[in-house]
Amino acid sequence: MRPTLHSRLAFDTPVTDPSPPTARHAFWTGCRDIAPVLAGTVPFGFVAGVAPVGAGMSPTESIVLSVVAFSGIAQLVVAQLVAVQSPVALTLVAAFIVSLRFLMYSASIAPHLAHLPRRWRALLAFLMTDQGFAMALQRAGQPGDHRFLHFHALGVGLTLYMSWQSAVVAGAILGAQVPATWSLDFVVTLSFLVLLVPLLRRRAELVAAVVAGAVALAAAGLPYRLAIVTASLFGIAAGVAYDWRTRR
Amino acid sequence: MTSTAWVVIAGVGAITFLTRASFIVFADPRRFPEWIRKALTFVPAAVLSAIVVPGLVMPLGEFDPANLRLAAGIAAIYAAARTRNAFVAILAGMLSLWALQWAVG
Repeated sequence: MRPTLHSRLAFDTPVTDPSPPTARHAFWTGCRDIAPVLAGTVPFGFVAGVAPVGAGMSPTESIVLSVVAFSGIAQLVVAQLVAVQSPVALTLVAAFIVSLRFLMYSASIAPHLAHLPRRWRALLAFLMTDQGFAMALQRAGQPGDHRFLHFHALGVGLTLYMSWQSAVVAGAILGAQVPATWSLDFVVTLSFLVLLVPLLRRRAELVAAVVAGAVALAAAGLPYRLAIVTASLFGIAAGVAYDWRTRR
Repeated sequence: MTSTAWVVIAGVGAITFLTRASFIVFADPRRFPEWIRKALTFVPAAVLSAIVVPGLVMPLGEFDPANLRLAAGIAAIYAAARTRNAFVAILAGMLSLWALQWAVG
């Protein structure tokens, strides 16, 4: 585990108690620690519930998509591609590209969970999100008793899951009634913005982000909204190239 | 539409679970080549930026560097860098956007 990764991704969310003595305490501490993040995830979930309905899916389909995928980016990408009637295979490729970041999160967090039974690991993997990952690494990087880290992560994950799904259900059912002048969809951009900003302190990642952003604008006209996929791949390549050049 | 929708839902559910579970449940990250691990470290910055940048400078699908969302986004970036608090940053962004929309009319 590289401590730099934790310090780059974590928010300085106040941590209520550095060394919870019991599993139950760790669980409730996790529920409390993630609460400030709900300011972004709840309105974002509402938008993620509305978007597939706006694209032509039924409210039930929008809700089931959210229950199984539990990923705002993936849900929005599906909505965008369903709206332009993209082929199924292309929708799945796009969902895979935006889910690549889970591979990185999974690799970073795996050493902390390696001692757990398979069922626990599968459950925590299912509940892992951008926000939950940042919280877990921040927690693991702190000094103190980490015996109940998985209960903390479970508290974080379940709190996010329940509030996310409630917001999605509300969005899927009531979404059409929110006036467009509220600009609620801007919460999506802001939710990712607050995850992105702490990443930009390292030069190579800044390069990856700048190139991805520029390609996303240049490629905006691509059919089936392929801009995100194209931009992500260019950004990753730019980061690798920059890193490779500065090493030699 | 409907049967296609269910195929997409099942596929996306499988993809999001398998990518999350990849190293936590199935594989040992140390057994993967260095260059793959290196490339993965750039994924979050690249994917997030590919979503955020168009949301700020082309909110209506057209390039528009003078729009209110970019100004509100800059306020949110400042708040995020300054406070390192997600709640404060998102609130700063939304309040800025609403204030600008109200001011512009």
